Amino acid sequence: MLEWFDTVFSYFVLVYSTIVLSSYVAMAILAFLEHRKHFTYHDDAYTIDELKKSPYTPGVSIVAPAYNEEKTVITNVKSLLSLDYPDFEVVIVNDGSKDKTLELLIETFDLVKVPYAYVEKIKTKPFRGLYKTKSDNPAFKRLTVVDKVNGGTKADASNAGVNVVSNKFFVCTDVDCVLDQYALYRIIWPTMASTRRVIAVSATMRMSNGSIVEEGKMVDARPPHDLIPLFQDLEYTRSFLIGKTALARINALQNVSGGFGMFDREIVIKAGGYDGDSFSEDMDMVARMVRYMCDAGEDYRIVQIPETCCWTEGPPNVKVLNRQRTRWGRGLFQFYGVHRDMVGNKNYRRYGALTLTYVLFFELLAPVVELIGYISVFWFFLRGAVNYHTIWIAFLGLYVFAQLLTMVIISYDVWVGTSFKRKKDYLWFVLASLLEPFLYHPLNTYFSLRGYWKHIWGTQMVWGNMTRKGVQSAKPAAPKPAAPMVQPNPEEKKTDA
Amino acid sequence: MEYYTLSRYAYWKYYYLILYYKLQEYPASVRGWIVFGSICMLLLVLIVIGNFIRYISAYRFERLIARNRARYYNRMRSVVSQTRTLEPSEISAIMELPKNYKMKERQNRSFIPILKELRKDLGNSLSRQNWLRLLQALKMPAYFESQVLSRKIRKKVQAFKDVADLDATLKEAVASRYLFTKNRKLQMHARLHAARFGTSYPFKVLEEDPNLVFTEEMVVKYHNVLVYRQKNGLTMPNLIRWCNRVPVNDELRIFAVNEIRLFKRKEDCAELLAMLIASREEAFSCALIRALGELEYIPAEKEFCRRYLSASFTERQVLAEALGAMGSGNPDVVRFLEEDFLQTTDYVTRMVLLRVIYNYGSIGRASYEKLKREASPDLQPYFAHIECDLIDSRRYA
Repeated sequence: MLEWFDTVFSYFVLVYSTIVLSSYVAMAILAFLEHRKHFTYHDDAYTIDELKKSPYTPGVSIVAPAYNEEKTVITNVKSLLSLDYPDFEVVIVNDGSKDKTLELLIETFDLVKVPYAYVEKIKTKPFRGLYKTKSDNPAFKRLTVVDKVNGGTKADASNAGVNVVSNKFFVCTDVDCVLDQYALYRIIWPTMASTRRVIAVSATMRMSNGSIVEEGKMVDARPPHDLIPLFQDLEYTRSFLIGKTALARINALQNVSGGFGMFDREIVIKAGGYDGDSFSEDMDMVARMVRYMCDAGEDYRIVQIPETCCWTEGPPNVKVLNRQRTRWGRGLFQFYGVHRDMVGNKNYRRYGALTLTYVLFFELLAPVVELIGYISVFWFFLRGAVNYHTIWIAFLGLYVFAQLLTMVIISYDVWVGTSFKRKKDYLWFVLASLLEPFLYHPLNTYFSLRGYWKHIWGTQMVWGNMTRKGVQSAKPAAPKPAAPMVQPNPEEKKTDA
Repeated sequence: MEYYTLSRYAYWKYYYLILYYKLQEYPASVRGWIVFGSICMLLLVLIVIGNFIRYISAYRFERLIARNRARYYNRMRSVVSQTRTLEPSEISAIMELPKNYKMKERQNRSFIPILKELRKDLGNSLSRQNWLRLLQALKMPAYFESQVLSRKIRKKVQAFKDVADLDATLKEAVASRYLFTKNRKLQMHARLHAARFGTSYPFKVLEEDPNLVFTEEMVVKYHNVLVYRQKNGLTMPNLIRWCNRVPVNDELRIFAVNEIRLFKRKEDCAELLAMLIASREEAFSCALIRALGELEYIPAEKEFCRRYLSASFTERQVLAEALGAMGSGNPDVVRFLEEDFLQTTDYVTRMVLLRVIYNYGSIGRASYEKLKREASPDLQPYFAHIECDLIDSRRYA
């Protein structure tokens, strides 16, 4: 019996790991093809110049929910208002803040409540009012502030924002995200260059920990010098430049980040908007948009662009990472419960048939398989059945493969136009890559399993204090104050990137 | 004892066999992992070396640009700032370029960002003749030609973009090689180049292509091309022919109508109206209505009212806005809009109608006040919304 189990388990591990490694290789190749296409045809300066001159450039709305953001909201809104784009509006949704977020906005931007005829296209918590500026400052005229009763989730606040945006496309972001000056030009371009209807565009996001930000603008992008955000930066870069790019290449992208992503307003409304009960509302939104398009028999595309358009502050320590990853784990589990009919379903094209199946087996179940692997190795060790030669050689092979992947993403990042001024900054990525398998990966596995456990047993989600350290400022005399994300249970304030 | 020198092949085979027999004693799984790990290691080393070479090359290129900027920028500036057209020999003397110097590709490439910077700095004060002669002196046309004829698609596409950015010249025969290429992007850039610089009638390709896919990207670029042609006094396309005679591509027809509107070609309005009467496609009709409205073509008003009741909500909104934009002051129009305001069930259409009535001169304002007085309490928020100047007029509800 034991021998039978040993054999079956060994073959399972062999097949599973072979598929995982092959998928990584396949994704790296697909990403290479996509980056090459981008490199061949795209010229950032040329595109920006063409769009600046044209009256046909579509308008874009930026929706940014804010909850208890009094310490940073003004700087961040000013940063959003100073973006370079001919036609955009910024919609800040004050999600029933208990601090002075709204008062500060009113005072700084000279806002007054206007008699706006609000129509609830997507159901949200009650709308309290809409504010516009009295000032003659043309930049301030781009600002709209929506005040609503706290809905407990970012999803509810985003839905209120979607209800009032006036453009065909809207960008969903967090109020504390730092956007690139030309982010809107880059994110709108795929919708114009495609022959098919583009319903969502995802852009590369990075960690702002360690970077120098002045007045809400990225002055000097640097990798984080603390281990946890550094690991996450490497993970993000790998995910965006390889995973998402590859999936977007075959039009099977499963997620457009809630931190920075652009959506077609009409499809979002028809799909019912963000789901306030979801712990992974961004992934859920994409699923519902795809479901709508496929059910309606319409052609669509979801695009990933390689340029870094947004920087967000990552969890500074293990405690915060724990909360974030537990929630992500829980969100993923919940997502598969809600959209189980799409998994492996050819009606939902490559998204359902390929991506959701892949993510189910190699992302959702990966921590479980890994846990079984650890237990088995321990059990084999107790029985004296460990083949040390194979274990060490396999580990070494995988370790070298992980380093190879890191080197590939560094190459891709340089190729598509790195945001780092100094190339030596990549040595931090190399350091993170060398340590990741020992420190970060086991932690993530544990946190994901914790999230699954909580979801299965229906544990109430506790949103404790999410302390953000704040990014470095170029002005040493004015350090950016910490922005506490204090949320009473069970209200969520924002998605952590 | 004899010594043999191994050939290169035998040398590698020797080490291969040593490894092979060493590995023979291990199980297949270990051998597999060793092969996998070795391949990864080899690729890792190659990528590291490749990255290092690219880094050095990029660094050297940046230094070359900086050197050229320091050396030539002011000289270039003095050439193109002069109002008098300079002779090539004078330009060479100012630039102090070595005689019979064969410019390397890297050197030419390094001039591109400097030239773009110069164009941006000088704007309209730049002398076009001197500019073209400067490019000639730097052998840029030959460089662009070699790039367009190179094997790499990126070089071709980039060359077309640079030519457009620098307002440079490229032989028509060279660009025309790609007018019908299968690569859609390259074809687009070649056609854009022809449309921008072509001297005869360069739009024929666009008009006669049955497989044309006219994306929004092309809309933006062709508009910029037409603006350029108008500014430089070049032949403009016959836009009305595009509206009429390109039935295979609706996007191009809509683009042509929008261009007539943007270039304010009022002389085409009568034909646009005839097209509107015959049109059954919503997107095309909306473009026609918008154009006729913005060009204030009053004879179209009757047709607008005729179409209105059988139109979709989207078309009704466009019709109402067009009637408002015309502002003929016709009381019948206001009465017509007022009636529809009371009947329509679509809130966006209702908001559009109300805004049009509100802005329709004194007759409109009187009608608006009457509607407001008679409106039920649930309609009052719409009136307050319309009256507020701070709310963007695009934001209906």
